[in-house]
Amino acid sequence: MSELVKCSHCHLEFDEKVMIKEPNTFQESSASSTPIHYFCCNGCQGVYHLLKSDGLDSFYDKVGNSKLAPPIQNESDSSSFDMESFKSRYIKTTEEGFSRVDLIIEGIHCAACIWLNEKVLGQMDGIVEATINFTNNKAKIVWDENSVKLSQIIDKIRMIGYNAYPFERTQSEIKATKKNRDYFLRMSIAIFASMNIMMIDVAKYTGFFTGMSDEMLRIVHMAEFIFATPVLFYSGWVFFRGAYYGLKNHVVNMDLLVSVGATLTYIYSLYVLFGGAGHSYFDSVAMIITFVLVGKYLEVIGKKDAVDTMDKIRSSIPLEATRVVDGIKTSIAIDKIEIGDILEVKNGEKASVDGIVTSGSSSFDESSISGESLPVIKKLDSKIYSGTLNVDKVIRYKAVKNYANSTLNHIVELLEDSLNSKPKIEQTTNELSKYFSVSILTVAFLTFLGWFIFGGLQEEISTFENALIIAISVIVIACPCALALATPIASLVGISWLSREGLLFKEAKYIETLAKADVMVFDKTGTLTSGKLSVISAKCEEFSTKQINLLYSLVDSSTHPVSLAVKKYLKNNYEELKYLELESIEQLPARGIQAIYEEQKLFGGKSDNTSDYTTFEFFINNEKIATFELEDSIKDGARQTIEYLKEQNIDVILCSGDNEKVVTKVSNELGIKNYYYSMTPIEKADFIKSLKEAGKTVVMAGDGVNDSLALSRADVSIAMGDGADISLDVSDVVVLNDKIDGVRKSFYIAKRTFGFIKQNLAISLIYNIITIPIAMAGYVIPLVAALSMSLSSLLVVGNSVRIKQKIK
Amino acid sequence: MTGILWIELVVGIIVSFTLLAIFIWGARQGQFEDSKKMMDGLLFDSPEDLQDAVEKEKRVKELKEKKKQEQDTETKKSEETK
Repeated sequence: MSELVKCSHCHLEFDEKVMIKEPNTFQESSASSTPIHYFCCNGCQGVYHLLKSDGLDSFYDKVGNSKLAPPIQNESDSSSFDMESFKSRYIKTTEEGFSRVDLIIEGIHCAACIWLNEKVLGQMDGIVEATINFTNNKAKIVWDENSVKLSQIIDKIRMIGYNAYPFERTQSEIKATKKNRDYFLRMSIAIFASMNIMMIDVAKYTGFFTGMSDEMLRIVHMAEFIFATPVLFYSGWVFFRGAYYGLKNHVVNMDLLVSVGATLTYIYSLYVLFGGAGHSYFDSVAMIITFVLVGKYLEVIGKKDAVDTMDKIRSSIPLEATRVVDGIKTSIAIDKIEIGDILEVKNGEKASVDGIVTSGSSSFDESSISGESLPVIKKLDSKIYSGTLNVDKVIRYKAVKNYANSTLNHIVELLEDSLNSKPKIEQTTNELSKYFSVSILTVAFLTFLGWFIFGGLQEEISTFENALIIAISVIVIACPCALALATPIASLVGISWLSREGLLFKEAKYIETLAKADVMVFDKTGTLTSGKLSVISAKCEEFSTKQINLLYSLVDSSTHPVSLAVKKYLKNNYEELKYLELESIEQLPARGIQAIYEEQKLFGGKSDNTSDYTTFEFFINNEKIATFELEDSIKDGARQTIEYLKEQNIDVILCSGDNEKVVTKVSNELGIKNYYYSMTPIEKADFIKSLKEAGKTVVMAGDGVNDSLALSRADVSIAMGDGADISLDVSDVVVLNDKIDGVRKSFYIAKRTFGFIKQNLAISLIYNIITIPIAMAGYVIPLVAALSMSLSSLLVVGNSVRIKQKIK
Repeated sequence: MTGILWIELVVGIIVSFTLLAIFIWGARQGQFEDSKKMMDGLLFDSPEDLQDAVEKEKRVKELKEKKKQEQDTETKKSEETK
């Protein structure tokens, strides 16, 4: 058997025989240096040489053992980046007179990729600034137009194996970045102050039990006052603002309770610090603000992610198309394309508008529309959809729609709308806190009135002061500490458990929604089925060892999904496969592969144009030697997942872009009664919308670009980890290991966690029911308040720890 | 005893707020916006990288000066033609 070796650039492993070998002529000090370098493609070899000659080979030390994607081979001309139309749209001039462009860099895998790009660009003459954001892959390039051209900068990026697309910084992006930074600062200051206060608290509470002089207590209170003040007035400003706008719109919200509770507690603590007797609660002020602010910050990050996702989608749309008029080709901007124009699409390019083929035939990757990974054959009069990728040869087609009405633009616009207006799911805590806020504020006010009118004369303080202190103590003891902790602590435990199982929940609120779901909608390819073909039957009666090796060598020369499936079948069923040197290997568009071996003509693929990609035949000198039937296999655990969902009284629906025959077969095998086939991305999204309008809580699981619109419309969307970047971006939950069982586990853990959230809320409410009357009666001494507040929080935390258990 | 505590409190607060101010300065510059780069980038700091950064600063400074001179010459020319 042949040996697998690593590519020296991308570190992907391939059969030694198919690799490009090169003696190591570089002087390397590294211990990892080998006598021979292997490269999987010319691209990897080129980049490796470039980095070595530019002295940037420390990139490989930084990458370590991480695997990269082979360099993107970009044949397209970069001169369009210097065109006036491009400049007027994307290039801005800085105050100092330099040019600035914002790009999205494609192919970034790790921090070493960022390092390499920044380093290479930084070394170019004329570059003033080149910074790349790792989180969203956005780059800001500032350069001197007189020293270097943008096309040269783009060429440099392409040379090292990456690609760059321009994007326009929208107002929403600038606003989201600003808001993100603002909340980050507020939260950081709150956390900084709270941590200091927690340390001081150790001394304070120890002093409670062991004794502490008044002077010492004053120092402790003063220190807490200094740290709590910026938390309330700077970090907590967002709550005051939220409460103000809430009241303006006649809504009592959580912000009001937090701001009123924190302010009154602060005022009361000030009174204690500067003269009054008792116990200050500056620590409570800081804690409440910090806890709730962290939750708010996570929401802000979510919104920023949505903006970044839209920029990525927009940047993948082709900017220009090639129009052919009387045999002369010209590049035009896609919004200038008119109906009836003849357009040319080369191999590796995307169709920019919808149309009908007028000449040539080729295979198109329509996964962005149908979700199916197998290329579709396009010949005369076939429909071409915008956004689909030509994977074979040049074709020409007639535009039947302009850009604004074409499929791709329609999907992008709908996706943008749904990302911007994704409904916020009301959380139980918020609902509860609304009533809680009103009740507590009313009870506190009534307590104040009661003590002020009927309280009688006090020995040391006035009636007003006494009534005020008791009313504040009601608010302080009812301070939503346990209530505010009830959901986040349980969610935190739930989320950490989920992440250990390879399930990434982007926000905690999806636990609750998942637990309440009524309908589960599945996509087929890549979600319930593996999306990869496998051989289900093989007719190869008279197969000699040589013929097997010839077929193995033939399919090994192609990366088409069918060839890969046949290769896998051969590897699993035959031992000691041998690679034979084939000549004149040629990929036949939409048919298969052919090659020559010792004057024998080999062909693998389908013998006629009518059949689909599920049959593979092997011919030697036009004589059929073998036939293979292929099928997309159902993922392990799919049946169990569907049975579990049915047991939980959740309606299971299958929506697929595939044909009736295949979808019916898969549905029957999995026991799904409701299924829909040949659905377009827009139809899927409308279907989800109609379910939601019928009052259902809808969860959708999908993987392809075609699912992204429907995913963005669902209450909770689950994306499979091997899916397209866009579907991962728009989804709320990512199943990292791509196993369908992850969907079952997500439901199980979410339901269990939600059960504990309810228990926690009950604990905090019972605590309030017991303690508030005591506070109203004026019996709450500082020690009791401090102990009971900590106890309620401890109960909630302790209860949440019980969530984790073995998944049944 | 309490006198020392007061001094400690004042010194502690000055030190911690100074560090906070440095952090705020960094955050305002946008240094913490890219969480992934911030965490992984730390691994890549080396003396060569610092040296490169210094040289790049120099080059950028020269570029900026050159640009300023160009702009000044252009302004003078346009004033003369007026």
